[in-house]
Amino acid sequence: MNVATETGSWRRILGTLILAVLLEQLPWSGWALALRPDFVLVGVLFWTLHQPARISFGAAFVLGLLADFQDGTVFGQHAIAYVIGVYLVLFLRLRLLQFDPLRQAAQLFPIFLAVQLAVLLVGWLAVNPPTGLAMLLPVLSSTVLWYLVALLMRLWHGKGMQDRA
Amino acid sequence: MFARRLGPTARLLIWLLVGVSCVVADVRYHALEGLRSGFSLLLQPAREAMRAPTDIAAELGGFFVRHRLLQKERDALLIERARLMISVNDAAELARENTELRTLLQLQSRPGQQVVHAARLYQGHDWFAQRITLDQGGRAGLRSGLPVVDASGLVGQVSRVYPRSSEVTLVSSPQQLTPVMVERTGQRGLAAGSGQGRMELRYMPAQTDIRAGDRLLTSGIDRVYPAGIPVARVSRVSRSQSSPYLRVESLPLAGLERSRAVLVLVAEPQVTTP
Repeated sequence: MNVATETGSWRRILGTLILAVLLEQLPWSGWALALRPDFVLVGVLFWTLHQPARISFGAAFVLGLLADFQDGTVFGQHAIAYVIGVYLVLFLRLRLLQFDPLRQAAQLFPIFLAVQLAVLLVGWLAVNPPTGLAMLLPVLSSTVLWYLVALLMRLWHGKGMQDRA
Repeated sequence: MFARRLGPTARLLIWLLVGVSCVVADVRYHALEGLRSGFSLLLQPAREAMRAPTDIAAELGGFFVRHRLLQKERDALLIERARLMISVNDAAELARENTELRTLLQLQSRPGQQVVHAARLYQGHDWFAQRITLDQGGRAGLRSGLPVVDASGLVGQVSRVYPRSSEVTLVSSPQQLTPVMVERTGQRGLAAGSGQGRMELRYMPAQTDIRAGDRLLTSGIDRVYPAGIPVARVSRVSRSQSSPYLRVESLPLAGLERSRAVLVLVAEPQVTTP
């Protein structure tokens, strides 16, 4: 578990998560809003993958409540979805850590999709049917963001990081 | 250490249970409004700070507007002002006449319209309801239910108020109803948001005189919106064999996605007692 000691100090974890929250506070609108990746979700799942002892269900739930506040939706909608995402990442963790950034992102795609479908389902049951399928766009952009982040991490820490894990 | 931890599946189930109870508490009992205002207090400074980059970009863009363009705009504004001055004189005359008539009829005069200027602070995803967050809240005298307008029409209705910000549900949001009348005929109806920046006019009998291009104004019968605010323009009217009602689609006139500055109409002016 040398990845843990290298990448995950509390300062770095909190820093990236706060950065993700701040990025979502930018006044996005129009197409940029529709295509905005879910920065917070990517951050949470990333740290769940690399630091499962520190960031997992609890943090995901609280940040999910924050996402619910942002969209003005029912409390619990994103929280439930994020928790499901964390579970899937923990379930597939050892498998995910073996892949290079591109393949890892490709495997994260169904997880992001499952999270978004959970948001859709809870919203549908609790409030009203969603308007259109535009809500599936962030799944794509989140996957791209994951790829970029994973690539950056690999460049940062040298090539063999994920192979040794 | 690992012996004390629950397995992931058990923890997932526990958190799902917590999540479901959150949903129920919020939908059924509206018990989590405190948490919402907590988040709003927490995020308010961050949002105000994060507005700066786009503002700076707009400033820089504005700096390079050409002199010629500004002159042209100034000329247009001068003409506009002259035209408005004439109508202001007319309006003053009408207001005087109106007060005289009202005193004659011994009617209570309507309370003066007080407005609060607000700017868009944040916009969330519009998957289930279309809402924007404004940078004015309870401290500026906003209440839940007040109408919000911009230069071209009705934007929506204040739905949640926090101390220093507030949430506005847009007219195009699903389930948001607006009582309207057709400007040309005076026919009253109910406009409902249908999401994705569109509205539909509900329960219009098949023989109604309405066509594409008609403007819809607020009718004022609900005592929420003042009468005569432009709401939408009819874009398509179609008849269906199965339903006794027309299917009337319309597009909101206000710049729901674009306008950054809006006015909140505070109907009753606050009484300041010395």
